[in-house]
Amino acid sequence: MNQSSQLAGDESADRGFLVVMEHADLGYGKWRVLSDVNLSVSKGDFLAIVGPNGAGKTTILKTMLGIIRPLRGNVAKAPGVRFSYVPQRQSMDEVYPLTALEVALMGRYSLMSPIGKPSRSDLAFVLSCMERVGIEDLADRQFRELSGGQKQKTLIARALAAEPDLIALDEPTNDMDVASEYAIMELLRDLYDSQKITIVMVSHLLNVVVNYAKTIALVDGGLKTIGPVSELVSSENLFRVYGIPVELVECGTRRVVLAGR
Amino acid sequence: MSEVFTVPFLRVAFAGGLIVGSLCAFLGVHVVLRRIVFVGAALAQVSSAGVGLALCTGANPATVSLALTLGGVAAFAVRFGNRRITQESIIGVAYALASAIAVLFVAKSAHAEAYMLNLLSGNILTITPGQVYLTVFLFAVTVLMWSLFQKQFMFSAFDPETAKAHGIRVAFWDLLFYVILGIVISFSIRVVGMLLVFAFLVLPAVTALLLSQRFVGIYAFAIVSAAVSTVSGLLLSYKLDLPTGPTIVVFSGILLLASSIVSKLRG
Repeated sequence: MNQSSQLAGDESADRGFLVVMEHADLGYGKWRVLSDVNLSVSKGDFLAIVGPNGAGKTTILKTMLGIIRPLRGNVAKAPGVRFSYVPQRQSMDEVYPLTALEVALMGRYSLMSPIGKPSRSDLAFVLSCMERVGIEDLADRQFRELSGGQKQKTLIARALAAEPDLIALDEPTNDMDVASEYAIMELLRDLYDSQKITIVMVSHLLNVVVNYAKTIALVDGGLKTIGPVSELVSSENLFRVYGIPVELVECGTRRVVLAGR
Repeated sequence: MSEVFTVPFLRVAFAGGLIVGSLCAFLGVHVVLRRIVFVGAALAQVSSAGVGLALCTGANPATVSLALTLGGVAAFAVRFGNRRITQESIIGVAYALASAIAVLFVAKSAHAEAYMLNLLSGNILTITPGQVYLTVFLFAVTVLMWSLFQKQFMFSAFDPETAKAHGIRVAFWDLLFYVILGIVISFSIRVVGMLLVFAFLVLPAVTALLLSQRFVGIYAFAIVSAAVSTVSGLLLSYKLDLPTGPTIVVFSGILLLASSIVSKLRG
């Protein structure tokens, strides 16, 4: 039996869960990617789903968001909880002649009347979201002409426009230079700290994750383990997942993950 | 040349061609952006197979053609989860099968064969005033649907996964888009023929996308491009006694070439 449902109001309120996966098998059609996944995201989490390429990280995220249904088991959302999604920016079809503002406005659509155009207040709110992420001057630029970092910020502004309880991001700093990667991660940290938005991100970049996320889920052929970054990120655990020696080095207030000896 | 506009059936042909062209050009912008250009060709072929079936069985061609086209619409609207079969290949299968079935349906009837040949190349000069009114109605409904639900159509097409995560019913809006497209194609090919419908769905949209980066401009350029090629093609075909449909398509191609030069010069 597969099921996407809502948590009972009391249950979610008591434990602060926004979404819970129980004994869920995940995949596409007949293709099972992960089996028996148990995972919950609580209000105020900053969860990073980490693992090698092809481990099934994105599949977990998409199932959590309701984009795909679990093949078996249960995925339940708290009543009234609102999710926003920031997909991999490379998946955006660049043939569409949309401005950054038009892309960001899409985040507002689910809150608007199904009929008609965005109101002035919708427009003002979306512009304030663009300002929040520092791209208000790009509103009239074509989305396809923006740099990778600018596109990512536009997609984050779109996610904020939906006034979400939880933002889910798929590889938000993939293929970025160091400066853009730092800017995006600092922006996410700021949103987490100042707006108390729950964040779930998928990444294969361990150096990014260990310095920002609070909780980590290690995935490889199944959900291996989940817990606080400070407890779970160890050379032993990373060896179990990646199959090669991994060293964790403290560098001032930051941590660096080094592969190999 | 002005005497063209005094001939009643030519006036109707102008009006019909302009409206069918504008309607297909408007929808064609989204057909091109969704990268489903050959869905248009396949649906046109499915529609013609429906006409063939109707001629073979003595049923009403309009009804059977529409029913079969909507069946095709339902198949194309599904985003297949099977990674071994792409949607592109399903479109190819539908195109090939529908073409073959249409030929088989009419193989034994000389009358049906002539009808199908007309359907293939089209004869814009045989448009009736009733068809023109119906096209105006279809155009009005399409534009109304678009102005009401543009948000949903756009979000579902541009970024379906995020739209779904944000609570937009992507499958429904995709299906509605394909239903509108199917109805327009099914009706239009009986008015102007498959060649013109396919050309109107693709060429004006590509021309417009080269000339503008804003949707208002893109719609405007697409419609103007379809209108200019219809009028020019009709006049030239009248003057030189050429087949009307192909002349219009060639004119549309010349406009596309000109717009690509303008686009290159702009940089």
